[in-house]
Amino acid sequence: MAKAYTPGLKVSASTEHEAHRILPIQGEVKVAEGDLVDADTIVAETFMDGDVTPLNVANLLSAQPGEVPGLMLKQEGDSVEKDEPIARSKGIFGMFKNECKAPASGTLQAISKTTGQVMIAGPMIPVQVKAYLPGRVDSVLPGEGVVVKNTVTLIQGIFGVGGETSGRIVIATSSHDEELRAELITEEMSGAIIIGGGRMTAEAIQKAREVGASAIVSGGLDDSDLKQILGYDLGVAITGTEKLGVTVVVTEGFGEIGMARRTYELLSARAGRQASVNGATQIRAGVMRPEILIPVEDGSDFDGDAIETESGVLELGTPIRIIRDPFFGMIGTVAALPEAPQVLGSGSKSRVLDVALESGDTVTVPRANVELIET
Amino acid sequence: MSSESTFNPADVKVILATDCGSTTTKAIMIEQVDGVYRQTWRGEAPTTVEEPFADVTVGVINSLTEIQEVSGRRLLDDQGRIIRPATADEGCDIYISTSSAGGGLQMMVAGVVREMTAASAKRAALGAGAIVMDTIASNDKRRPHEQIQRIRELRPDMVLISGGTDGGDTKKVTEIAELIAPAKPRPRFGKAYELPIIFAGNEKAQPEMNRVFGDGGFDLKITDNLRPSLEQENLGPARDMIHDVFLEHVMAHAPGYDKLMSITDAPIMPTPGAVGDILQTIAKGRGINAVGVDIGGATTDVFSVFDGTFNRTVSANLGMSYSISNVCAEATLPTILRWVHIDMDERELRNRVKNKMIRPTTIPQTLEALVFEQAVAREALRLAYKQHKEFATTLKGVQQQRTVGDTFSQQSGGETIVDNMKLDLLVASGGVLSHAPRMHQTAMLLIDAFEPEGVTELAKDSIFMMPHLGVLASVHEQAAMEVFERDCLVYLGTCVAAKGAGKPGKSCFSWSLDGGSRGSGELQFGDLEHVELGPDESAEIEIRPARGFDVGAGPGKVLKRTVRGGTVGLILDARGRPLALPEERQACRSAMQKVIDQIGLYPAAESTPVTQESGSSD
Amino acid sequence: MNRAGQRIALALNALLLAGLTGVAAASSPLTGAPPAPPSGVSAEDKPWDGGGTVLLRWEASSTEEIKGYEVFAHQEVSGSVAAAEAEQSAKDEAEAQTEAILEGEGVAPEDAEQQAGERAARDVAPVTDVPKWNSLGVVPPDQLEFIASGLDKSTPYRFMVRAIGSDGEASADSNVTPALVPYAQWFDGAKLPLFCILFVICGAVFLYVMLARSGMPMKIRTIAGLKAVDEAVGRATEMGRSILYINGIQDMDDLQTVAGVTVLGHVAKTAAEYDAKIEVPTSRSLVMTAAREAVQSSYYTAGRPDAYNPDLIYYVTDEQFGFVAYVSGMMTREKPAACFYMGAFFAESLILAETGNSVGAIQIAGTAQPSQLPFFVAACDYTLIGEEFFAASAYLSGQPDQLGSLKGQDVGKIIVGVFIIIGVGLATVQAATAGMPSMESLHEGATSAVDFLVNTILGS
Repeated sequence: MAKAYTPGLKVSASTEHEAHRILPIQGEVKVAEGDLVDADTIVAETFMDGDVTPLNVANLLSAQPGEVPGLMLKQEGDSVEKDEPIARSKGIFGMFKNECKAPASGTLQAISKTTGQVMIAGPMIPVQVKAYLPGRVDSVLPGEGVVVKNTVTLIQGIFGVGGETSGRIVIATSSHDEELRAELITEEMSGAIIIGGGRMTAEAIQKAREVGASAIVSGGLDDSDLKQILGYDLGVAITGTEKLGVTVVVTEGFGEIGMARRTYELLSARAGRQASVNGATQIRAGVMRPEILIPVEDGSDFDGDAIETESGVLELGTPIRIIRDPFFGMIGTVAALPEAPQVLGSGSKSRVLDVALESGDTVTVPRANVELIET
Repeated sequence: MSSESTFNPADVKVILATDCGSTTTKAIMIEQVDGVYRQTWRGEAPTTVEEPFADVTVGVINSLTEIQEVSGRRLLDDQGRIIRPATADEGCDIYISTSSAGGGLQMMVAGVVREMTAASAKRAALGAGAIVMDTIASNDKRRPHEQIQRIRELRPDMVLISGGTDGGDTKKVTEIAELIAPAKPRPRFGKAYELPIIFAGNEKAQPEMNRVFGDGGFDLKITDNLRPSLEQENLGPARDMIHDVFLEHVMAHAPGYDKLMSITDAPIMPTPGAVGDILQTIAKGRGINAVGVDIGGATTDVFSVFDGTFNRTVSANLGMSYSISNVCAEATLPTILRWVHIDMDERELRNRVKNKMIRPTTIPQTLEALVFEQAVAREALRLAYKQHKEFATTLKGVQQQRTVGDTFSQQSGGETIVDNMKLDLLVASGGVLSHAPRMHQTAMLLIDAFEPEGVTELAKDSIFMMPHLGVLASVHEQAAMEVFERDCLVYLGTCVAAKGAGKPGKSCFSWSLDGGSRGSGELQFGDLEHVELGPDESAEIEIRPARGFDVGAGPGKVLKRTVRGGTVGLILDARGRPLALPEERQACRSAMQKVIDQIGLYPAAESTPVTQESGSSD
Repeated sequence: MNRAGQRIALALNALLLAGLTGVAAASSPLTGAPPAPPSGVSAEDKPWDGGGTVLLRWEASSTEEIKGYEVFAHQEVSGSVAAAEAEQSAKDEAEAQTEAILEGEGVAPEDAEQQAGERAARDVAPVTDVPKWNSLGVVPPDQLEFIASGLDKSTPYRFMVRAIGSDGEASADSNVTPALVPYAQWFDGAKLPLFCILFVICGAVFLYVMLARSGMPMKIRTIAGLKAVDEAVGRATEMGRSILYINGIQDMDDLQTVAGVTVLGHVAKTAAEYDAKIEVPTSRSLVMTAAREAVQSSYYTAGRPDAYNPDLIYYVTDEQFGFVAYVSGMMTREKPAACFYMGAFFAESLILAETGNSVGAIQIAGTAQPSQLPFFVAACDYTLIGEEFFAASAYLSGQPDQLGSLKGQDVGKIIVGVFIIIGVGLATVQAATAGMPSMESLHEGATSAVDFLVNTILGS
């Protein structure tokens, strides 16, 4: 087996990228083919029916259903605010009156004499789709949405949370493996995409959220920190719909791990530029990785080598990273490729390779536990 | 499917079989050795359905290349084609394959009542080896618009609709069809793909189906009702139809599958369907109740045959790589750590779990990592088996026959048919189980997760060969059966467990083997004992349970049985059923340590560790 | 006739007897000198009672050999009033006896009552004269007190005691006590055990309601019959047939009918969710109205008000067998896939259940009629037995208040059960040890315990 695992993540200085911007239900497209759009431009819009909240007024006021219309303070068609009284009981001799408050804002849709039920329809929910990627509208799908196209620097992360956002790129750390701590995040980073190097802490993410940053990108993240910011233990790796206030993208993995040097350098070269970030991740069938898209205006400001996936051949001297404990995150080169399987510490037998680490040590790890890194 | 059955079975000397899983493609070679078929070599390579390769055959060729390397037999020509037919030192005679790559066969099923026809439809789909993405029913508590929304979101490979007994309801099932038709679910494989709809419902509703799905964009297939009456379930025709459609439509559109289909000598089967077939064959042939489990990276499949009824469930989010994080979230870390006897750093573990999720192909290198991974596996299996028990039930909606004696004990329909006491054989497969460095670990994983009661044989599918053999059986049954007997199942041994609860230190049961000549003893509650009994040996066991304990003959009754040995031997389990571990961490750790000592689970310093190859042919 | 009435009647009997003996005693000059009367008779109202009871005490007669003391009371009312009362009670008693006889002969209750009244008026002789002193009873010579009960609590009484000599001769009258009204206090001490039981049971209900509200999980045993509702309704949906619901043949005043309507609400809600057709023929018009209300609100709750059709809930006939004939006929014609029988059933239970079984329906029955339960159990798929049926509403709603009260009631039942077991045990001991000299103390203990249970606890 001469091939090593490659996570299949794209890191490309310049590539053509299409963003499909589609409404969940039929609606109206706001732009035309050929239009130039910004990240925040609304390209399509529609309205969804509001939620209907039923409220049994007869039960709440201990009245007969037939009496309910007479007890209503609001009539059909009136708009109501949450916690606004909408009905009042007659009480005893004008005393001990009971009130019934609206459980939600909206319009009083129906008052039933037979059940005493009152329906409050919430306001119509506007559904808007933004362009997300600044660029040109390549095609319009009538009633559904548009396709936006542009030449971009594309960086895929390995894991992310939070949805689409955009902002200018700000580099917070001084090296590709410096930990991204809260004190590195300043007020000026409001609306920005903060790029860190090594592990980002929960406090850093919290700070980013407080200063109003759009996104925070770094090499690693602790799972306990992820749990802390999400408020729950993430099970299935299908993300993108979280409402965190900030989009989080991890480029390498969980734990203490620095961002790949090339990725870091690419991002550093793009500092100050506008970028679009999406944290949506889906591992498994129909893989979706978080992405950072930086439009390239003329394509001339970088070497422009479109990166293709690594061929994945392990040879002596190939730079690799170990992706499993006990040497997780360590970088080195292939020092030996023994043919025969060896017995591991766990007792299993597996094909292994020797890795010469940057520190000078040589360790033996299973071939499955390394990944190629780009030079 | 190029040249089906154009060979003479007697001439077949070399067979190649691959199983394209979601992460790895596994290849085996079967050769005729001294007149019998034996599995001889195997190879593995990452599956290549997704980008950048987007061609499943790349992984197939890689795995075959590995066999070529290790066996020294040339299988592929310079163009990377399989050399056929076999000569003395080149090529093979038959090449077959199963597939669950790219998410396998993904289906949506629909029925009128969720617990009745929709459940039957789900059973049919699962039995055929599909992953059921969602079940639409008129009583699934969703409003029609929500159902339409859901149908739109899903991108199934095919849809199975059932509903109404023959001569029964037509209205509701038509309503369901009328929801699906306008929602126009988009199949995964582009717009040119006509979504296959299989209707296996009320025969009176067939004209309605033709009307609803006749407009184009759908490929409607009609087959026999899978619930002709509520008292009867007829899944066969629907399963066959699913398989036909799978080959005809789904396989033809998956990346590289057209190529794969052209080089196989038998129709490609969905992996779980093939496993189900072979398990049913064993259960029928030996007249036993069997449970099979395949724990994969993303999903865990549980198969069971109880009293001739076959059931399969897929626990979509319980697995050891992609879904490992979900296992930890569902089971919670403290529950997983019940099975761990050493101290572990929680932060470290959490990161490891997540890294395994995002980089699913790594394997544990240290003993500590292995212990933890096996603890996670126990919980994944336990949760999957629980889901299976809930699904494998008697039919619902059936009229009951009562006598006055039932006054105070009215059993309702839809009770689980899974009974651990009646279970005879438990077969394990899937990486974490079959690649465990020591067989004892596999055996204990099964015992802890499934909690078998009474006398249960434990076996493992040595290298997950059951899917290959399931397909092989359809073209060369003799070869399939011979390999199955000799190489596929590795008998680990037999577990004897007493059902009941007691206090630690009180007697649970006493036992004697072959009248005491091969050992005897008494176990106290909470104890575990390991007795060597070789793979080809068997012995007469007599078990005398203490009062309140049951080993299969009834509470407190003596049981005499022949037990089969294996690579592990006999495990006598007096920890009681249901299995309860101490709540307190320290007590739990020492209880686990005791188990490890008694069985010899993780020998820290053993000179010749048993490896995964030990159970196979060599 | 209530307890007080019985006591008065007894007192009257005693009075008549005493009158006769008194006459006999007076006309018997053969005996020796009459014994000395007891002295110092005092009377006081019994405290903590419901009125009508007076505690009498006296000092022993100076005569050694006496048979006992006879206690007399005198009600401070005019003779005619007393006579009228005596006459009325005599008539009441006669009437009750006659009525019972007539009913036993098969005369309709209304007719029996009327005839008995007429006969009593005709037969009972008018009472013209009432003796001034009424005897309340005779007590042994060593007993120097007497509880006079069953008195009128609003009129004053005077009391005196006579000693009765060994030869049956009565002494002279003792001193007469001052007039005393045996009035009722605010609290009747005799009812204290009842109060305690009430307090414990209500307290338990209250406590469990509170606990349930505070979020303590209330486990309720799975009731197979209610769990199977989904199954039955599902069957009807799959088979494209209707659901038949029979709410018993009694009116809304029967608790079982009320419980049946509760269950109907649940069944109708499930039917609305599955969009199955539910048909409810009733044998009482009021039940029809209630059933319509219940079904309608269920359809609304399920969010399908449009699917509600009141015409499927209709009145058939009050006639027991007319109703059964209709329902059975309908079952054979329409072959419902699910039948529910929830309410009070009589002879029709087996007819309905067997018909339903023969058309292949899933049947769920619920009744508190013990005599019909075996039929339902044998012919139906599931049966709610008595208490289960009444617990259904708590079970279905899952509301903490209802679950809590159910649990509280269970505590009450446990208490009753415990007392029954203790009582049976004691009574057994009492009976078994009777006449065994060695067990005398045990026997006496058991006897007094049984007396306490019977008289004080049950009596209250």
